Amino acid sequence: MIHFRHVSYTYPNAARPALSDISLDLPEGELILVVGPSGAGKSTLLRCINGLAPHFSGGSLAGSIRVGNLDPVQAAPQVMSHHVGFVFQDPEAQFVMDRVEDEIAFALENAAIPPEEMRVRVEETLDLLDLTPLRDRALSTLSGGERQRVAIAAVLALRPEVLVLDEPTSQLDPKSAEDVLSALVRLNTDLGLTILVAEHRLERVLPYADKILYLPADGSSPLLDEPRAVLAQIDLAPPLVRLGKALGWEPLPLTIKEGLRHSRRRAGNGRAARPRQERGAERAAGARTPFLAARDVAAAYGGTEVLHGLSLDVYPGEIVALMGRNGSGKTTLLKCMVGLVRPVRGDIRMDGRSIAGRDVADICRQVAYLPQDPNSLLFAETVAEELAITLHNHGLMARRSGQALPDDTRELLHTLGMAQHAESYPRDLSAGERQRAALAAITVTRPRALLLDEPTRGLDYAAKRQLANLLKGWRAAGMAIMVVTHDVEMAAEIADRVALMSQGEVIAQGEPAQVLGASPLFAPQVAKLFPDSGWLTVEDALQTA
Amino acid sequence: MRQRGLSVAIYALTTLLGAAAFLYPFWLPAAAQAAGSGMAHAADAPLMVSLLAGLCFAVLLLEVQGQGMSAKVVALLGILVAMNAVLRFVESAVPGPGGFSPIFLLIVLGGYVYGARFGFLLGALTIFVSSILTGGVGPWLPYQMFTAGWTGMAAPLCRPLVRALRAEGKAGEAAVLAVYGGLWGFLFGAVMNIWFWPFVSGPAGQYWEPGVAFFEGLRRYAVFYLVTSLAWDAMRMAGNVAFILAMGVPALRILRRFRDRFTFEYAPAVAGERSVLPATGGGR
Amino acid sequence: MNPATQPAARGDASIHAGAWAMWLAAVVAALAVGRNPIYLALILAWIAATWVAAKYVAGALDAERAVPLSPLHFGLFVVSVSALFNGLMVHVGDAVLVRLPDALPLIGGPVTLEALLYGALNGLALTGLYAAFILVNQALPVREMVRLAPRAYYSIAVVVSIAAAFVPTTLRQYRQIREAQAVRGQRVQGLRSWLPLLLPLLTGGLERALQLAEAMTARGFAGASTPTHDVWTQVSLIAGIALAAAGLLLRLVWGMSALGLATALVGAALVAGAVWAAGRRHPQTVYRPAPWRMREWAVAGGAVLTAAFFVLPLPGLDRSSLFFYPYPSLTPPGFSLWIGMSTWGLLPPALAMVGPALR
Repeated sequence: MIHFRHVSYTYPNAARPALSDISLDLPEGELILVVGPSGAGKSTLLRCINGLAPHFSGGSLAGSIRVGNLDPVQAAPQVMSHHVGFVFQDPEAQFVMDRVEDEIAFALENAAIPPEEMRVRVEETLDLLDLTPLRDRALSTLSGGERQRVAIAAVLALRPEVLVLDEPTSQLDPKSAEDVLSALVRLNTDLGLTILVAEHRLERVLPYADKILYLPADGSSPLLDEPRAVLAQIDLAPPLVRLGKALGWEPLPLTIKEGLRHSRRRAGNGRAARPRQERGAERAAGARTPFLAARDVAAAYGGTEVLHGLSLDVYPGEIVALMGRNGSGKTTLLKCMVGLVRPVRGDIRMDGRSIAGRDVADICRQVAYLPQDPNSLLFAETVAEELAITLHNHGLMARRSGQALPDDTRELLHTLGMAQHAESYPRDLSAGERQRAALAAITVTRPRALLLDEPTRGLDYAAKRQLANLLKGWRAAGMAIMVVTHDVEMAAEIADRVALMSQGEVIAQGEPAQVLGASPLFAPQVAKLFPDSGWLTVEDALQTA
Repeated sequence: MRQRGLSVAIYALTTLLGAAAFLYPFWLPAAAQAAGSGMAHAADAPLMVSLLAGLCFAVLLLEVQGQGMSAKVVALLGILVAMNAVLRFVESAVPGPGGFSPIFLLIVLGGYVYGARFGFLLGALTIFVSSILTGGVGPWLPYQMFTAGWTGMAAPLCRPLVRALRAEGKAGEAAVLAVYGGLWGFLFGAVMNIWFWPFVSGPAGQYWEPGVAFFEGLRRYAVFYLVTSLAWDAMRMAGNVAFILAMGVPALRILRRFRDRFTFEYAPAVAGERSVLPATGGGR
Repeated sequence: MNPATQPAARGDASIHAGAWAMWLAAVVAALAVGRNPIYLALILAWIAATWVAAKYVAGALDAERAVPLSPLHFGLFVVSVSALFNGLMVHVGDAVLVRLPDALPLIGGPVTLEALLYGALNGLALTGLYAAFILVNQALPVREMVRLAPRAYYSIAVVVSIAAAFVPTTLRQYRQIREAQAVRGQRVQGLRSWLPLLLPLLTGGLERALQLAEAMTARGFAGASTPTHDVWTQVSLIAGIALAAAGLLLRLVWGMSALGLATALVGAALVAGAVWAAGRRHPQTVYRPAPWRMREWAVAGGAVLTAAFFVLPLPGLDRSSLFFYPYPSLTPPGFSLWIGMSTWGLLPPALAMVGPALR
């Protein structure tokens, strides 16, 4: 179906090629997962399939590509759009119209499809992706997952034979991501559509993937094979697979169901369920006063009350993970704690003093807050300048006068692994680096607490690991940290305490093993494999096994 | 080349006729008087002149987009227009002098960096979109769109001056653009008043009175302007100047940083088995 | 088209954008021509009736796009300002109310009832225009307005759609940026405070524009990388506006009304032809075009009728009553039954919106 022969591609003004000498044959009708570390050229490879590279991005391409009996480089995207549908990462940046139905019709109008046929195609596409109830809605009122489904529908209306998706779920919460991915699986199994999807969340799609295409970072030739065969050779993998590999389970399990066969057998021969080590132990020993304390807080956002009398403490030297479905009030709670939203009732205390009446800038010297989109923070020419601006805002440094940053600030950049990027333009950095630049910009005042809103969104495995280590380091230094996250594996790895929120209240809080292990929705894979063991991460299971 | 010449002719003609249409309350009565036809058709003058202005605008718009707008230009315009429309609503959020509007920053800078056609469309469409979204569409709309469009369209005229001052990328560049933006901000207010003028002064009638001639019309307009808008427009001008001075250098840097990315084109390698391909990207 | 598949939210009170545009043009024409208070009152009454029908009966006005200044407030303000201004500036008329000392520059002289009244009439005409535009603006969704654009303007219509679609996103972005800058200690003070707000917004917008352009390209939007029109289109555009302008001068300056009108019409037709020809190069279809039904015929027909009576020198029609002129002393305005009745041509939209509600 899709053939690459010795394809090399270099972006304009780039020193090195993004793809070099790639040869591939992708079969028809299969669901193919494209994985690999950031910067390995996944996006570029996908863009070659419909001619966006080189037609949209310029640059130079060598070798030959065939999709069906077309050459995307010859045919150019306008022709290719009828054969290859392409869905992008950001659900906010691919729409032209403001209504679902019109958006789906846009490509058809543009291709001058006759009105009667257009009508039929729009209807069937709406049905294919379960969008019929949303057909009249404004796109700005949809959730991220719904938007991605509209984006898929909008390209499917042209009836392509191949669907290509570039990290379609990286900006979504797990529930929305699941909706999108199961829609893909359905399209593949019911219609036999050839699907290529670049994806970080392997857990959900692994069972349905026919092949995995792995692009290594070093530019060596890609790996294309059955999922089990590829997973055995690479270390980017969900916890289930990592555990299975470590324990030598054969065949390698791809679903919890398969994994349970092994884990039950294992639990059968002498159950070694030692509870996992209590990480919060040292904190409990020196139980002091909480650094941040919400007492009976009620808050309204946009006219409706979203927090109803909620109490929560964060102690120095601990990480609290705040979890719950969308709209349960997690972000509003964070905003209350830094004064962006003022409670209508109740009180928030910082270091024993109420924050009522203090302005945001004043509070934020002590409590750093990382919003969901770190891009909204960054606007300076260099990372170092970003830090200087924050210092200046707080009156800790004179107006950007070109003076050198204080030494401890240099040290902060070093801790964050950003020392070599101090003079880079922040917007040119990778997602993980940009987040760390934003973290540097908010923690440069040496705050005693750190609040993070969905910090793992859009990060790959490597960047997540780096973030986890960073947070652990700051915890050891005595910082009070609260993380709002949907990422159960991340929460399982770093949290000392988990609070579950629903409808503006904290419905459960306690040790991660109690709160997460018991929940069918929030349990990490390891806890599902070994129920009642108290294990949450691969390391827990391996240490005790 | 011939097409380019014709394009320039269209720009010049529509601009000239548009400006004449704007200013008709001042010259038309005098001209009619000189020709001795009196006020035979004075009554439908505003209507006819507005139609002419509308026609000029339609022609200019067609010419500006007719030379090809790639997907990149369409998307960029759409998003910058959205941004400007938002800035127009939220302009009260940050203190500034009355009448000041942040929209001129992007219109002036956009035209200056991305060219006259881009500037024209950015200016005219900013006014159009923000008006339909806030319900502010009125008979004044073509006048405002024309003025804002001209603001962006003429911005590249600052380039030679900046080059002469050797101020590229420096504060001097922002200063030139700030003065330019301030002037247009002022004109923008005056145009709005000219639209009102024939209605406030009555349809033609009054200055066809014997002895009430061209200069009398101008004199009355001057008073009207002085009383109703001078202070307001002057504040707008000051606001625009200060705003472009404050934002100009970094905003220009950002626009330039992206300019290359919006104009990449694919040039197939000569060597190898590839034949020559038309490029779809870029092409501004 | 099957009525069951019509968008439910707009109900059955929708009127085609083209019909609305014709109605609006008729209002503008009627208000621009003369200042006869009787006709003015009739036109204003019909606009008000349409407003009431749209807002209270059909619920067809989009409250989110409501203007800060309601037509009523606008009217109060404009009528008083324009009466005052005219009264102070125009010292003509017999019924002198006050006599300002001549020493006062510009405004010195007699203030007459006639001048005040005439100013107020001007203000009323302006108010009518304002109300009619605001009404149509709120009654029509952006999408419908965009679709009204001739096909030659397709790229621009897409730009407007994108802009309208991205306004909510941009607004949300703007709020996020404000919060993000506040938590890093920014305090809003003066123009410089815009820098941390505007720059991330601009950069983010440019990044998003690239992504959007890529998404559009992937969906087959090629834009027009080659010119959509040739030399002949350009020549007819130039000739068209030149003729239109010449016709206007002939009619208004040299008093050759018929010749002028004819020349101007030929010019306009040339431009229209060029626009049509350019549009033919954009092969493109429309998804579920808004239907043109009986009610649209009624609205359009009414608009043509009104406009014709107010603008065209119809044979046998005495048009002198259109031009009311209060100086030097007030006389009762003339009235032509035909012209008065022709204003009923502005009523079909109101009837079309009330109709479904009664059923």
